Amino acid sequence: MRLKDQNALITGGSRGIGRAIVEAFAAEGAKVAIVYRGSREAADTLAASINDRGGKALALQADVADAASVNGCVECVEKELGPIGILVNNAGVIEDDLFVRMKPEAWNKVIQTNLGGVFNFCHAVAFGMMQRRAGRIINVSSVAADHVNMGQTNYSASKGAINSFTRALAVELAKRGVTVNAIAPGFIATDMSAPVRNKAGDRIAKYIPMRRIGSPEDIARVAVFLASADSSYITGQVLTVDGGLTLGAVAE
Amino acid sequence: MPTQEEIYNKVSATLVEALNVDEEDIKPTSTLQGDLGAESIDFLDIVFRLEREFGIKIPRGELFPESIFQGDPDLVQDGRVTTKGLDELRSKMPFADLSHFEQNPEVGNLSDLFTVDLIARYIQGKLENGTNN
Repeated sequence: MRLKDQNALITGGSRGIGRAIVEAFAAEGAKVAIVYRGSREAADTLAASINDRGGKALALQADVADAASVNGCVECVEKELGPIGILVNNAGVIEDDLFVRMKPEAWNKVIQTNLGGVFNFCHAVAFGMMQRRAGRIINVSSVAADHVNMGQTNYSASKGAINSFTRALAVELAKRGVTVNAIAPGFIATDMSAPVRNKAGDRIAKYIPMRRIGSPEDIARVAVFLASADSSYITGQVLTVDGGLTLGAVAE
Repeated sequence: MPTQEEIYNKVSATLVEALNVDEEDIKPTSTLQGDLGAESIDFLDIVFRLEREFGIKIPRGELFPESIFQGDPDLVQDGRVTTKGLDELRSKMPFADLSHFEQNPEVGNLSDLFTVDLIARYIQGKLENGTNN
């Protein structure tokens, strides 16, 4: 068990990649705080299932874009579990539209949730981690930060900023034993990518050198690595996990 | 009101925690940056721990004044602290002993002002003035 008795908080933890990370962390012995925005039932069920299996999980509602909500959430988790040693900023939204048609609301929502959420949670835990001289911050970015798609100016900007933020914060906290890294998933089978998968079907896999769409577990295993002692000398890095998607090879 | 020695011992213990140094490395004349290896993020931590330890509030820039370090042309010119800058230092850091620094007021020497003793004196003044709110 690589994360035994560690306290981990995962945002967007009730579904998709976040859920897989919650499961993987719990399987490695971590106590997990599942932060969700809207899907209470899924979060509660997941927490109950982990607790039934002898683990320790709690589900908490928070709006990652709202600093007060985030601070309250962190306070609650630390009261219940103790200091947070591992933070995974996974919560994210998409609100795609062609730029000339994009409403400011769509821009703000994506930036405030994806990037603002990372700021809010890091801000709530970083000082404590720094004082304890231990901590792992893992931000879930996207290959879309560098390999852009039509209609995603807001999403790409938010993820590119997360990568830069990750490097900048890593420098500030390195001396205090806190590592800050990001994972950039490629095409992963989640609810978020369902509309594209439904539309494009099997064609997508042809663009991926490994010829398969990634699973949330593919990302979760990397998150476990970045949260564990195995990665203690790695900081400020963005790990691309995409089956080779962004290598630029043209399908045969 | 704690004695001078009690204050010094608490300050020393705080620095051991914040800077991860051995207690025997800490002497009254040790400089935080040069001798004890403190960096900017450590100063934040030191302030936080002192506040908690002594039950005082340390307003930003009071113990570690920032304006003088940010190259304000009125206060710092050609890498040296100006006469006006020295006045500013005196008014902002009445707890500091500037006699040595004044002889060669290079900005690079400013960090030498921040010794363990300076922090203890600052805390003592703070507690004496009863501004612990």
